[in-house]
Amino acid sequence: MASEVLLQAIVAGLLFGMVLSVVALGLTIIFGVMDIVNFAHGEFLMIGMYTGLLVSQYTGADPLFALPVAAVIGGLLGYLCYWLFVRLLLRGPMLAQLLGTFGLMLFLRNLALLLFGSEDRSIQKGILVGKSVVIFGSCVVPSTKLGAAVLAVLAFLGTYLFIEKTKIGKALQATAINPHAARFMGISTDRMNALAWVIGGAGVTVAGGLLVNFWAVNPYVGLLFTMLAFTIVALGGFGSVPGAFFAGLIVGIITEFPGIWDAISLWTGWNWMYKVPMISFKYTWVYLAYFLIMLITPKGLFGWKR
Amino acid sequence: MKRLFLALGFLALFLALFLMEKGAYAQDEITIGVIYPLTGGAASAGRELQMGAELAMEIANGKMPELAMDMAKEAGIKSMGGKKIKLIFKDHEGNPTLGADLAKKLILDDKVVGILGCYHSSVTKAVSAVCEQYGVPMINDSSTSPVLTRQGYKWFWRTTPHDGTFTMDLFEFLKGLSEGKAKGVKPVPKEELMNLAAACEKTEWGSAASQLLEDYAKKYGYNLKRNLLYTAKSADLSSEVRSLLAVNPDAMLFASYTSDAILMVKTLKAQKAKPKLIWGQNAGFDTPEFRSTLGEDIVGILTRTVFSPKLGEVKTISTQINELYKKKAGYDLSDASSRGFTGVQTWFHVLEKAGSTKPEDIQRAANSIEIPGEQLVVPWKGIKFATSGEEPGQNIMGSGIIGQYQKNKEGQVVLEIVYPFELSTANLIYPFPGY
Amino acid sequence: MEAIRNALDFKDLPRSEVYLSWAVALFLIIFPLLPFSSFAMATMIQFLIFAVYGMGWNTIGGYGGQVDLGKAQYVGIGAYTTTVALIRWDIPFWVSMPLGMAISVLWSFMIGYPLFKLKGHYFAIATIATSLVLKDLFEVWGFVGAARGLHISPVKYPPPDFLRLIFKEDVYYYYLLLGFFFLAVFVMNWFRHSALGYRLRCIKDNEEVAKALGINVHWAKIKTYALATAYVSAMGSVHAMYIKNIEPEDTMSLDISVLIALMAMLGGAGSLWGPIIGAAVLVPMKSYLKEWMGAKMGLIGIDLIIYGFIIMVIAAVEPKGLWGLYERWKGKRSAP
Repeated sequence: MASEVLLQAIVAGLLFGMVLSVVALGLTIIFGVMDIVNFAHGEFLMIGMYTGLLVSQYTGADPLFALPVAAVIGGLLGYLCYWLFVRLLLRGPMLAQLLGTFGLMLFLRNLALLLFGSEDRSIQKGILVGKSVVIFGSCVVPSTKLGAAVLAVLAFLGTYLFIEKTKIGKALQATAINPHAARFMGISTDRMNALAWVIGGAGVTVAGGLLVNFWAVNPYVGLLFTMLAFTIVALGGFGSVPGAFFAGLIVGIITEFPGIWDAISLWTGWNWMYKVPMISFKYTWVYLAYFLIMLITPKGLFGWKR
Repeated sequence: MKRLFLALGFLALFLALFLMEKGAYAQDEITIGVIYPLTGGAASAGRELQMGAELAMEIANGKMPELAMDMAKEAGIKSMGGKKIKLIFKDHEGNPTLGADLAKKLILDDKVVGILGCYHSSVTKAVSAVCEQYGVPMINDSSTSPVLTRQGYKWFWRTTPHDGTFTMDLFEFLKGLSEGKAKGVKPVPKEELMNLAAACEKTEWGSAASQLLEDYAKKYGYNLKRNLLYTAKSADLSSEVRSLLAVNPDAMLFASYTSDAILMVKTLKAQKAKPKLIWGQNAGFDTPEFRSTLGEDIVGILTRTVFSPKLGEVKTISTQINELYKKKAGYDLSDASSRGFTGVQTWFHVLEKAGSTKPEDIQRAANSIEIPGEQLVVPWKGIKFATSGEEPGQNIMGSGIIGQYQKNKEGQVVLEIVYPFELSTANLIYPFPGY
Repeated sequence: MEAIRNALDFKDLPRSEVYLSWAVALFLIIFPLLPFSSFAMATMIQFLIFAVYGMGWNTIGGYGGQVDLGKAQYVGIGAYTTTVALIRWDIPFWVSMPLGMAISVLWSFMIGYPLFKLKGHYFAIATIATSLVLKDLFEVWGFVGAARGLHISPVKYPPPDFLRLIFKEDVYYYYLLLGFFFLAVFVMNWFRHSALGYRLRCIKDNEEVAKALGINVHWAKIKTYALATAYVSAMGSVHAMYIKNIEPEDTMSLDISVLIALMAMLGGAGSLWGPIIGAAVLVPMKSYLKEWMGAKMGLIGIDLIIYGFIIMVIAAVEPKGLWGLYERWKGKRSAP
């Protein structure tokens, strides 16, 4: 029984972590290229979730098929945000960037509240909805989660290859490493910045489209994921793409700590362990992890910048 | 100098902003402030409550002699020369601080005669404190934390039975099940239902419900192996459900608001949970949204409630009101709407008896009214508030029922009554069919 | 003596500002005598509370340039200390408020030491993280009522009670808060002139230079953080007595932290009047927009949409906030 519970927790953590790493991908790219922290990151995710939800509601298909739509909307949103807003913020001090992206967060969140209401919404129909598969003999996994995780890995790989193998991706990397030198090489940093926002926006809305398969959406959902994404980026190293992937998996497992605790308490049979309300601290460990990582190893696991 | 003028202009604008106030309501109406969760996680229950309250207001203000209710006989309140009742609805979003603010505003600015509300026990607690402070009567129709009537307040009355009653009902039901009293089920050995696991939302209502489950489980000799508190706002409950399933429970007990109840059942299904019994402490488990969203997935789930359309089989007034409500809302009365209805009905009786809008008269009237059970849509013996003892202001004639979602012949999912056993309208489905 | 003289010394401000502040002070004093609705009164109380919160934030966030987004934890500590002290041991407010401030300051030293090793965004996010951790702890801690929160019963403590600060009418709270507000302004003014204030501004301009000048940067930040904490904690205590119903979800929510920081930043971080202007504009705007467009027209969230938009525009156009706009306008006018 104990091993079963442990397996369940770890599998669930890994699957969630795969989706989380896509959530953090956009943040780390934008951060790597232009040293700006987007507090509205979670709100982009929320928009992706609503996109997935609405598309699936109108077509009756799974939100998984809405991913291209989400990507286009996210990319467009990122582009507009950069040209209309973030470009202006870059002139000001760090304080202005914080203030500005926070304003953006409030704006987007409450716009969603106005348009969609504050109720939790989740998908009801689709091929994967309500089904589950059993893996490793006894581990029940909802199909929606499994599907989302598989697509998350694919999306992540695609982005990684784009950055590593294509010419534009290389230019993006060059801008990240040294914007001045990149400009001398004839790379338009302005366009590269915009590209970072397009990729970042598309990445996070795709993550939203994946997430909505197994996670209810409401206008306030963003903040939790902003915090999770920050923790992942801090752990993986600011600006590191592969770092984001492994850190995502680790953070996914940290969120499943209550399950691991349950397994230990079943294994030991100690009664006091049952009484600890570990479930209330589901995300507390993640916040603590951020704090500790920043103090102990500010560069994270794979960091190269800062 | 110019700058000074500018500053003065700014100040003037400020003042103008403050001066714009609402006009007072007409004197020939009696205003009652109604505070419900019209948005947020429990919005669907809030809308139900609102429609139920509105229907009662329409009946009280109009004349419908075909209904056997005091409130339907005359238009308006007779003892006050036919004055009409007017309800002012406010939305507390499930936030106690906001609720208290709204109550203050209703009392001071809108000059309401009384307050009705508020569904969430946490909000009711905050609002009742404001009412107590200002000496304004408040009738609570829909909050079930036992704490609310144990605060020693003089301006607070509650029509609905509280969770103490409902939780006892649950354990009486479990006991009856092992004694073979349940309709259509052979006696279930107690060992088969020994292990319980509960998950309750963590604000006032759920915390109190969780405590009660713990107490009663001990009293009745059951083993509550896990007793979780969770956030009703969470968008993912899979680790909570897995934690419940880790102790391999025979029966799972829940106290959830609307959206989290739906999420909970969906997650149970996705995790292929196979308990023998699932019981919900009303609220989320008894809203039209719960039924319409989950469809056949809820067949076999039990919920405590105060109303089921099936009650019509024993009570004509329930059928009549249900028909009126169906015309208005498009679906059957539910637990929330029937309680909102009863809340306004109680206000009518209190005002009729008081004969004036003076708080002292209303207080005296509320402490002495007695509404006979035949006039109520809910299956209670009546409404009569305790004036002394441990729980002043609590309706002492209320009772609860336990319903089970079952599929009827037409293939619709309906709530059949399974407890009290003598009222049962159908055979109990046991064990829970599973997914 | 020196400190008091500093606190009362407004001579370095332009005369117009001094006159204007006198006018505003006079208005605030006579406000309850004017025939306003209780809604206006509640809004003014919110304004006073948030103005003091903002002034507290301004010491570390404005003068020090360390964007702190975790002030709600100190609101929570202050509010919980007074309420727990009242409910459990019947300790009057005037004892428990300083106690709460002491606990807050202690906590701020404990987490401030590691926190200030971080800079910029990293610091801002870490403050959010600490605040959320504390909130999660309070949500399960039975002694302080866990997630249900604590509740001050009007039956047990009949108003008016000047020792425990339990009143029925808002006007008592108004004048009490107004007293705190004036006190806060004077303390701010002292801080502005103090050595610590100058050191901090130097740190904000250039930390390396500050270090070279022999300033203990880390320690100066921690000290200022403690000062900011004391402000916020004291107001949290009054706030708790005013609303009489506290719970972690409400009292320690991130929204409070964000509002505090945004109001100060919007008004103008690093200036004496900035947080007051920010609160004076945003608090009434928020509550009236919510009342008119939110509640009456059914446009939920419209208040914060407009709010967010204004913040975006301000951030893009003038990062120094409304006060910065004013100073820029003044500078243009006085230029030949």
